[in-house]
Amino acid sequence: MVSNHTILTIAAFIILTTILQNFYRLLGATGDDIGDAQDMILATTISTSYLELAQGLAFDAVTDTSNAALANMSALTAPLALGPEDASEDSIQNFNDFDDFNGLTVSKQATGSNHVFRTHFTVSYVDPAHMDQSVSYRTFVKRIDLTVWRTFPPIHGTVTDTLRTSVVLGYFHFD
Amino acid sequence: MSTIIDLVGSIIFGGALLLIVINANEMASENQSVYNGDMLVQEMLVQTAHLVEGEFRNMGVGIPEGTRTILAADTSDVTFLYDADRNGVVDTVRYVAGLRSEMTSSPNALDRPLYRRLNHESLQTVGVVTVFRLKYLRRSGEEIAPPVALADLSEIFSIEITMEVQNPFTVLRSAGTQAGQREELYSSSLWQQTRLASQNFRR
Repeated sequence: MVSNHTILTIAAFIILTTILQNFYRLLGATGDDIGDAQDMILATTISTSYLELAQGLAFDAVTDTSNAALANMSALTAPLALGPEDASEDSIQNFNDFDDFNGLTVSKQATGSNHVFRTHFTVSYVDPAHMDQSVSYRTFVKRIDLTVWRTFPPIHGTVTDTLRTSVVLGYFHFD
Repeated sequence: MSTIIDLVGSIIFGGALLLIVINANEMASENQSVYNGDMLVQEMLVQTAHLVEGEFRNMGVGIPEGTRTILAADTSDVTFLYDADRNGVVDTVRYVAGLRSEMTSSPNALDRPLYRRLNHESLQTVGVVTVFRLKYLRRSGEEIAPPVALADLSEIFSIEITMEVQNPFTVLRSAGTQAGQREELYSSSLWQQTRLASQNFRR
């Protein structure tokens, strides 16, 4: 009889321990969510800072070096050649046009924390009628796609929150 | 005898169970208040940042080419031009962080008001921050030391805005710590962004 009661008590404790474990896991997960939200705020500030810099650049290398309005689309950088034009454009500070960001991957430590974020840039021509579609021919509209994710502290588990942002830049000229 | 052992055992296990549940309950409520504080701070920061960045990104809009966009630039005080209501008339906007002494009602000693002034209107409080720091950069990325001299104002290519908001109420205060002492722990959230001093520089 006593052993039956003991077994029942042990079983009840196992159930209780399982419930408690789940309870504490839930508490921890909520804390992680709040921390992730702060990370996403930092990721947003990083991505918008880069986008702001990109938007301050010329539309294309050819429009950076000329004050005349460009009418001939074939003068633009070839779709497969989007990226820095030469070795001197080796950092964001030295970029002179929007598509120099193509293929770039940079890491940045967020101010006020030790969290490090990596950003990857892709620039492509897009169809002006369908901005979401990258095309393999020249148009007067380019899109920059950014992906920002945290690399330090390392992500626990399998899910990595990645912030994806895109901005479209069209060519225009004031006469 | 076995009944007595059962009773004693039940009392011990029941007591342990009660302690565990009370402890879990206490921890849940403590965490709930911390998480709520964190969330509140993030919401406050995003709201303030939304307003500030909305205006900073329009800096220079409607300003004739060759006209200086920034009129005055200091560590936590900036005055710039843009056509705020798109009526063709250039407006002067000033953002300035007030003094900590102006927020004596806040339990957080680092809290200071963030003011906005449009043209000649009086200063309006648009948020409460603990840090509102502006860094001015040339096109080369070199920093221009504040307060920026009049001759260097047109050299400002981008502005780095750093803003921190803290919860007015402490998360953790050790025994004996008085309100406002910095041994307290506050929830905080940080925003740092680089903005161009003027759009449409180059096309």
